Amino acid sequence: MKKPLLGSFEPPAAGNKHMLGALQHIHLPMRRFKELEEVDYVIVGVGSAGGVLLQRLARAGFNVVGLEAGPFWDTERDWVSDEAGSHDLYWEDPRVTGGTDPLAFGSNNCGKGVGGGSVHWAAFTPRLHPSDFEIYTRDGVGTDWPITYEEIRPYYEQLELEMPVAGPAYYPWGHPHGYPYGPHPMGGVGNALIRGCSALDIPVCIGGPVAILSGSHGDRPHCIYRGFCIQGCKVGAKASTLITHVPDALHSGAEIRDNSMAARVSLGKDGRVNGVHYFDKDGREHFQRAKSVILCGYAIETPRLLLNSACPGFELGLANSSDTVGRYLMAQAGTVVLGRFDQLVRMYKAPPAHALTEEFYETDPKNDFARGFAIQTVGPLPAAFGKQMVSAKKAWGWGLRREMMDYNHWASFGLLGEILPWPENRVTLADEKDRFGLPIAHVSFNLHENDKRLIKAATQKTIEVMHAAGATEVVHEARYAHLVGAARMGSDPRTSVVDKFGRSHDIANLFICDGSIMPTQGSANPGLTIQALAARTADYLISQARTIFTGSKRDMTTPPIRRELAPPDTWGKGVPRFTHLLSAGR
Amino acid sequence: MTTKNRETSETPNQQGDAADTSLVPRDPLTGDAILPRTQPGYYAGFTTLSQQSFWDAATRKVIDKRVNHQPPIRFFNPTEASFWTTVFDHLIPQTDRTPDHRIAILPTLDERLYHDRTNGYRYEDMPHDREAYHLAFDAINQEARSEYRADFISLPYLQQDLVLKTLHDGEPKAAPEIWKQMSVHRFWLLLIGDAIDIYYAHPWAWDEIGFGGPAYPRAYIRLERGEPEPWEAEEQRYDWVAPDHAVSGEIEATHEFYLESVQHRSHRRKHERLP
Ligand SMILES: Cc1cc2nc3c(=O)[nH]c(=O)nc-3n(C[C@H](O)[C@H](O)[C@H](O)COP(=O)(O)OP(=O)(O)OC[C@H]3O[C@@H](n4cnc5c(N)ncnc54)[C@H](O)[C@@H]3O)c2cc1C
Ligand code: SF4
Repeated sequence: MKKPLLGSFEPPAAGNKHMLGALQHIHLPMRRFKELEEVDYVIVGVGSAGGVLLQRLARAGFNVVGLEAGPFWDTERDWVSDEAGSHDLYWEDPRVTGGTDPLAFGSNNCGKGVGGGSVHWAAFTPRLHPSDFEIYTRDGVGTDWPITYEEIRPYYEQLELEMPVAGPAYYPWGHPHGYPYGPHPMGGVGNALIRGCSALDIPVCIGGPVAILSGSHGDRPHCIYRGFCIQGCKVGAKASTLITHVPDALHSGAEIRDNSMAARVSLGKDGRVNGVHYFDKDGREHFQRAKSVILCGYAIETPRLLLNSACPGFELGLANSSDTVGRYLMAQAGTVVLGRFDQLVRMYKAPPAHALTEEFYETDPKNDFARGFAIQTVGPLPAAFGKQMVSAKKAWGWGLRREMMDYNHWASFGLLGEILPWPENRVTLADEKDRFGLPIAHVSFNLHENDKRLIKAATQKTIEVMHAAGATEVVHEARYAHLVGAARMGSDPRTSVVDKFGRSHDIANLFICDGSIMPTQGSANPGLTIQALAARTADYLISQARTIFTGSKRDMTTPPIRRELAPPDTWGKGVPRFTHLLSAGR
Repeated sequence: MTTKNRETSETPNQQGDAADTSLVPRDPLTGDAILPRTQPGYYAGFTTLSQQSFWDAATRKVIDKRVNHQPPIRFFNPTEASFWTTVFDHLIPQTDRTPDHRIAILPTLDERLYHDRTNGYRYEDMPHDREAYHLAFDAINQEARSEYRADFISLPYLQQDLVLKTLHDGEPKAAPEIWKQMSVHRFWLLLIGDAIDIYYAHPWAWDEIGFGGPAYPRAYIRLERGEPEPWEAEEQRYDWVAPDHAVSGEIEATHEFYLESVQHRSHRRKHERLP
């Protein structure tokens, strides 16, 4: 057996070092609040949004506890470079899926464990376009956001520095901007996308935008192109809130209670929430008192928790006087187009996310549908690829073995298409219960005419690009990605669940802050927007100081961005190329 | 070249069912049977396991368990166990592998069902995974009996292939009362998905398809033009066709679908494919 020069790789010696990536570590234990103690904030779910929020609130001096259903990862001990060995990263508690176009969950939706979905995301981080915030006004479809692009822009710029994001110096689509870290080198799939787009005169962006380090940053090494991004980045090169925000949150005095499954938000006689009931690892029930509660559990679990918290006065579910909780759930069309090349590609190398085009993002009057799509690189590992061959080519048996032997000849692109929000696409409760006795989520999903036309056109265009790249055979697998919506924000309490800062219309001290508040989704991957919204909600909470804990007055003034609350490594790292854009956002 | 001095030998093994040449792949030009190998595929001699000491400890442990410690059969009874083992011999046939280099599929599936581990969701038109496997056992046997007057397990290989093809095509004729309780194509995807998850998780399967496997902390350094790392192998293709007595060799790429809900529908409903 071949051996490295200095012997086999051994993990760092145990001790109270808790590894978060190959170099970064934190010292546990952390601060512990007593259960009887009334904390300022309980955050349910320490994922993409929850991690950012926890960090900001702790740094601003609030007492805050994060309840996280999954474990607190030690990346060196718990994560593996292996497709089949990474199931624990995903939310695999039972759910039922249905409707005319049922969605797949499991490894295709939210995370479980500190960092949530940012642990297994591919880390593509495009922004929404300015048009996304007003598609009803522009195209008469979906709905408008209660905020504009300009309101979220400073937070996009800020989070791009905090992750930080690698990408080109000039990104041409939406509101043009640059990235703090240089783009990544291309792998075989990226090169195919460049060839295909260039041959068709389609502008293409390479090496980002992706929240993966192209150069080392603080105690995080740069990417080693091992391609296991959606199995969790052991290297620590890919951003997850576990490594970008959680260490500073703990340092600032936040507590994360892992393996703690929130069961019900408790409503007091005064019409305000006063804490969260949750189960620990051994199934014991606890109650954490809090002055305010923030739900960050993802687009399925947040509505489920609200529905499971139904109580007198809120028979349809907590904060659901509008009957909107669970509705307007969205997924993006994520059809994978696979092309076979005579030359080898070896698509398992390099991050799956490393090149894209947003040339077809906006509504085009020539189309028979509103809104648009993006085309991105994806790089399925063998088992994922095999199942795509089953769907795309009906392969089985010897045919499947043969297709798989050609794995290294294939490249794959994923389209990312906007599906509009529809009220009957929704999360409800099923009759079945989970291991804690809590009713599980039932999700119903149906495509509408605009969605179907968009998916067809986007698939055809992506196939065209794959052919232009030189593929001799092109096939595709239809699928969906990225769930958002189901507790949407809006200015009208009759048709939305929360206001533009994430505060529920019905209950003055109950907030929601995760992908579920998005009213529409564009065709950008949602992670950056989710984290940017979290930082914005944090600024609002902090600007309101303690009024949230007692009053019910809704001050709708937008506070200024507070850059000084970012994790300490943020400034002085990276090279923001458009400083005039940054200062304009202040 | 990178492929020399590899540890695995390429001596064909002539024992076992290799004796029945109708069940092994053939050379399309000469028609000759291609004898079973320890490692089929185009990367002769490439072995990911030889690279283990470059992997991190947690990954090494998971792979070692997978390769060297097979879980006991606890969920399926012996009849079911041999039934599903036979089914997997069709979904992922391995007669091109020498018997000592075949990848067991059943034990890992059994372990999953024994612990009731799922993917985290169930389609509305599907029972729980455990129940689905029980129902399908009956349905497949009924199909075999109604078409060929014998239980699935006692049919010759080709007829077994044909029985399973009715599921693949989404058009089983027998057991309508069972298929009313569960969607044929969702069950097919569950079954073949399990087979793929297990077979292609094995390092021998990675060697077969030329996948480099774990790469932390070492990294991949050659990203472009599909070039191998110094420790990977160049591709060396050879032609082969599926055995005579198998129907799974044919591939039909379908292009006329755009939605997930229609891509697996059967031929009969082809006209519904366009959204
Ligand atoms: C394979 C894959 C690739 C992806 N790639 C990208 C990408 O490239 N770019 C991108 O932008 N997005 C990507 N995404 C999507 C992205 O991961 C999610 O949109 C994002 O993480 C959602 O953030 P969230 O805060 O809403 O929820 P999450 O990050 O999922 O966090 C929710 C957290 O809440 C916890 N939780 C839930 N319910 C409870 C409860 N009752 N009690 C306690 N804790 C609870 C969960 O355990 C979880 O940790 C990808 C997703 C997948 C599946
Ligand atoms: S490709 Fe880069 S970012 Fe992805 S897992 Fe590997 S090192 Fe991490």
